[in-house]
Amino acid sequence: MHPREECKGIQDQPADMMSTKAFSLVSAVERELLMGDKERVNIECVECCGRNLYVGTSDCFVYHFLLEENTLPAGTATFTATKQLHRHLGFKKPVNELRAASALNRLLVLCDNCITLVNMMSLEPVPSGARIKGATAFALNENPVSGDPFCVEVCIISVKRRTIQVFMVYEDRVQIVREVSTPEQPLAVAVDGHFLCLALTTQYIILNYSTGVAQDLFPYCSEEKRPIVKRIGRQEFLLAGPGGLGMFATVAGISQRAPVHWSENVVGAAICFPYVIALDDEFITVHSMLDQQQKQTLPFKEGHILQDFEGRVIVATSKGVYILVPLPLEKQIQDLLASRRVEEALILAKGARRNIPKEKFQVMYRRILQQAGFIQFAQLQFLEAKELFRSGQLDVRELISLYPFLLPTSSSFTRSHPPLHEYADLNQLTQGDQEKMAKCKRFLMSYLNEVRSTEVANGYKEDIDTALLKLYAEADHDSLLDLLVTENFCLLTDSAAWLEKHKKYFALGLLYHSNNQDAAAVQLWVNIVNGEIHDSTRSDLYEYVVDFLTHSLDRELVWQYAGWALQKSEEVGVQVFTKRPLNEQQKSSFNPDDVITCLKKYPKALVKYLEHLVVDRSLQKEEYHTRLALLYLDEVLRQGPSTGGRGAEVTETQAKLRQLLQKSDLYRVHFLMDRIQGAGLPMESAILHGKLEEHEEALRILVHELRDFSAAEDYCLWRSEGRAPPYRQRLFHTLLAIYLGPGPSAPELTVAAVDLLNHHATEFDAAQVLQLLPGTWSVQLLCPFLTGAMRDSVHTRRTAQVAVGLAKSENLIYKYDKMKLKGSSVRLSDKKLCQMCQNPFCEPVFVRYPNGGLVHTHCAASRQTNPSSPSPGART
Amino acid sequence: MRKPDGKIVLLGDMNVGKTSLLQRYMERRFPDTVSTVGGAFYLKQWRSYNISIWDTAGREQFHGLGSMYCRGAAAVILTYDVNHLQSLVELEERFLGLTDTANADCLFAIVGNKVDLREEGAAESQEEDGHSPGMASGGCASLKVSKQVRPEDAVALYKKILKYKMLDEKDAPAAEQMCFETSAKTGHNVDLLFETLFEMVVPMILRQRSQGPAQTVDITSYKPPGRTKAGCCA
Ligand SMILES: Nc1nc2c(ncn2[C@@H]2O[C@H](COP(=O)(O)OP(=O)(O)OP(=O)(O)O)[C@@H](O)[C@H]2O)c(=O)[nH]1
Ligand SMILES: [Mg+2]
Repeated sequence: MHPREECKGIQDQPADMMSTKAFSLVSAVERELLMGDKERVNIECVECCGRNLYVGTSDCFVYHFLLEENTLPAGTATFTATKQLHRHLGFKKPVNELRAASALNRLLVLCDNCITLVNMMSLEPVPSGARIKGATAFALNENPVSGDPFCVEVCIISVKRRTIQVFMVYEDRVQIVREVSTPEQPLAVAVDGHFLCLALTTQYIILNYSTGVAQDLFPYCSEEKRPIVKRIGRQEFLLAGPGGLGMFATVAGISQRAPVHWSENVVGAAICFPYVIALDDEFITVHSMLDQQQKQTLPFKEGHILQDFEGRVIVATSKGVYILVPLPLEKQIQDLLASRRVEEALILAKGARRNIPKEKFQVMYRRILQQAGFIQFAQLQFLEAKELFRSGQLDVRELISLYPFLLPTSSSFTRSHPPLHEYADLNQLTQGDQEKMAKCKRFLMSYLNEVRSTEVANGYKEDIDTALLKLYAEADHDSLLDLLVTENFCLLTDSAAWLEKHKKYFALGLLYHSNNQDAAAVQLWVNIVNGEIHDSTRSDLYEYVVDFLTHSLDRELVWQYAGWALQKSEEVGVQVFTKRPLNEQQKSSFNPDDVITCLKKYPKALVKYLEHLVVDRSLQKEEYHTRLALLYLDEVLRQGPSTGGRGAEVTETQAKLRQLLQKSDLYRVHFLMDRIQGAGLPMESAILHGKLEEHEEALRILVHELRDFSAAEDYCLWRSEGRAPPYRQRLFHTLLAIYLGPGPSAPELTVAAVDLLNHHATEFDAAQVLQLLPGTWSVQLLCPFLTGAMRDSVHTRRTAQVAVGLAKSENLIYKYDKMKLKGSSVRLSDKKLCQMCQNPFCEPVFVRYPNGGLVHTHCAASRQTNPSSPSPGART
Repeated sequence: MRKPDGKIVLLGDMNVGKTSLLQRYMERRFPDTVSTVGGAFYLKQWRSYNISIWDTAGREQFHGLGSMYCRGAAAVILTYDVNHLQSLVELEERFLGLTDTANADCLFAIVGNKVDLREEGAAESQEEDGHSPGMASGGCASLKVSKQVRPEDAVALYKKILKYKMLDEKDAPAAEQMCFETSAKTGHNVDLLFETLFEMVVPMILRQRSQGPAQTVDITSYKPPGRTKAGCCA
């Protein structure tokens, strides 16, 4: 075995720290009332039933008192006992036990091994003289098995060795119903239903007297210590165990509560829910059945009786009787809370659930949870606090109100009364400790953020959101903006003042916006951008404002600030017009002409806007297209004429211009042509010529001025897009003609012509081309063209042949069908006449026309010469 | 009071670490403990079941309470200290008999605790007392040579228990499954131990329920003496 220091104090905490005031001890019967100055006389037993208090003495007297409870103004109860009667029982023995059976109006008195029945009021023995003899101890069955209300069940330890007897006791008679023998001598008994709980010499057992089945509980040495067997409720007993334990056991022989730890020399035990009370020679100790902890210790010398009677706990010395008055549970709980013993308070409160009406309990319990929450909160135990606030359904404003200035001035909130805690505000709670204060604020932030979207917030969303805003603003917390850009209930005046105080102007703008005051919002932001007020929340505030205006439905506002935005940056500013959401555009809330007027002063912006109209929105309005083209042109001209030659770098604007000139069919070509004249923009003028179908001129410019042959080819392709092949052929031929045209024949052009032919063989009519070509050109040179042309022409021919063949056969098929439909035998007779000459047929030879008409062969032959006549059908 | 659906009992010599194991599991910490007086229990919610776990006192003085605590138990955790062979021997000699009152199909787990001390060897066994190395060291001297327990020893005990219960090895859970080595100090295997048992106990609870009324009596509702009429206040 491993030596280990015997534990001191064991699981009990030091008494003073743990003490709860659960009971107060008050005197009930002073010794003078009992035995006066008779020194030798002692109290042996007590019984209390309603207001009746009975005391049995060592000199065989029974006293009857009436108890009166008085509540002092201070709230403590006192008792006065008025003596009614006392009677000597006529023996020389002490009165061992007293039990009242109020239903029978009888008092059961054990004296000299005999239980007598006496009248509860007169203390006279029943006239019948009914009694139970041979009892050393007895117990009443508080959970009787017979349903008879005028009968009590009494269980006795018999003077006969190892015997228990069960009696039915009526008003004036007794009847034995059962006798059971026990394995050892019983010393104490308690009973519940059919179950006896017995202290035997060496152990406790449960014995079912109806079936005889016994169940061992645990061993116990009765020689060392007096056993205690006490019924504490339905089917459960409390027993004195080894090592000063108070053990719980059920009739099933199991323990469902952990034991309580008493001192070694406990002589009596009682129950007053939720407490177990024990008496030893110096103290009354109080343990909670809920957590097994010792809760209270009352010094009490020489006590030898401790019993509870229907909830009333009585202790007695040999000279006086006292009552342990329980403090109201709520008071106990409040005391616990006051000493910050949250867990115990909650256990006690929960334990009281069954003893308090449900509604009342819920109100009380909720309040206790809230109080407990504040205690945890004050100790910065935020997790616990939060849980308690949640389960206690705390009105969050109670918490918010702890923080100075957080509740909106308009809030109608007042703290609950009596208060849930002792703190005026956070300053007091933290005693000015900044770090603690910051922690508390962080907690409130997270707590409010959590609850704001739950039902907890119902009814005080304004208060919560406003408080949250204030906390965020003060702490410079990012979530301030999140709060403001989502749906929120921040109160405007309070929040605005606070944000201003903390110089959160950007946020203030958001607040205005969420309160439908966009004008104020934008004005504020504009001031920030202009540097009139300072707030560095967003470095891209200008862009933000532009974006804001872009999405704003307030046209006035947009117009008001468009100028400002454009002055800052034309390119960005113009977005308020160009980037508007589509659906809004469709409502065409901005008239393009108005915008254009507005943008007059901002050429770059105007270009962007026109691009937006022409390109993005594809508005088919000549004015915009022409204007855009002109603006491009101006820009190009302003940039200085680019050489425009082949391979020259083309500026972006120039590229856009060309693009527009090519793609758009709406601008005024002649107008532009005039502007371009002499500007040194050959490519552009080529495009314009092209638009006017002046292909020769266009191609001439491209070939002769620009010498850009690939551009010339592209031109042919561009202009013939979507046209019939002959049109395209014509273009290519025009180009070829230019290459081969009169004038100083440059080798360059020759090469271009050859390339053109070779690359686009199919675009040409080869026969025509061949006639154009100078005879000096070798076949080799034109090989690709020729092969291409040959192949093409062969291909065309073959395709044509196939088509002809197919058409012929198709024709035949139709003819065949037709013949089938019309062909039938022809009968010649004298009556049939030739349709031509109207004479009968003399020979079996004739000609039949498809319409069925019959003629002589010679008539048909002569008819043949006439072109209008139908061609002859098949002869039969 | 919630009525537990099943009961698990920790048995074993004093100082082997029963209380520490339970605290480690239930409260996730390893606080200083004092030798348990009488017993204590925790209610653990496992799935939808309430399982009570009883911590008993290993001290000789409270030995007699063991049978009552074990009555109706669904599982018993027999705990020893891997650094003290004697604590394993005690399980067989003193504690096994207490389990006679447990359910007929009671499970047995054998748990060797304090494995964290094993490397340090038996010579330092005094250290783990934690309390007062000077106290009663006379009786300690011979214990310092106490032998370490090997896992096989625990398995052997488990098989003996099956014999004692007259169970066929085939019908009972395998020894490997039911023998654990733990450390309440480091938490090693502690969750595994309890949760393995919970998993095995739940089907037993279900089986018991399906076999009609419970063998135990419901005493959940405490009534102050004198109130005899039932049902008037919920
Ligand atoms: N190193 C180490 N020490 C442990 C471990 N478990 C328990 N202890 C220590 O061992 C001592 C006894 O632990 P307890 O849990 O009180 O032992 P117990 O089995 O409950 O003892 P009783 O209540 O007397 O039956 C304490 O000092 C613990 O700190 C462990 O796993 N490792
Ligand atoms: Mg312990």
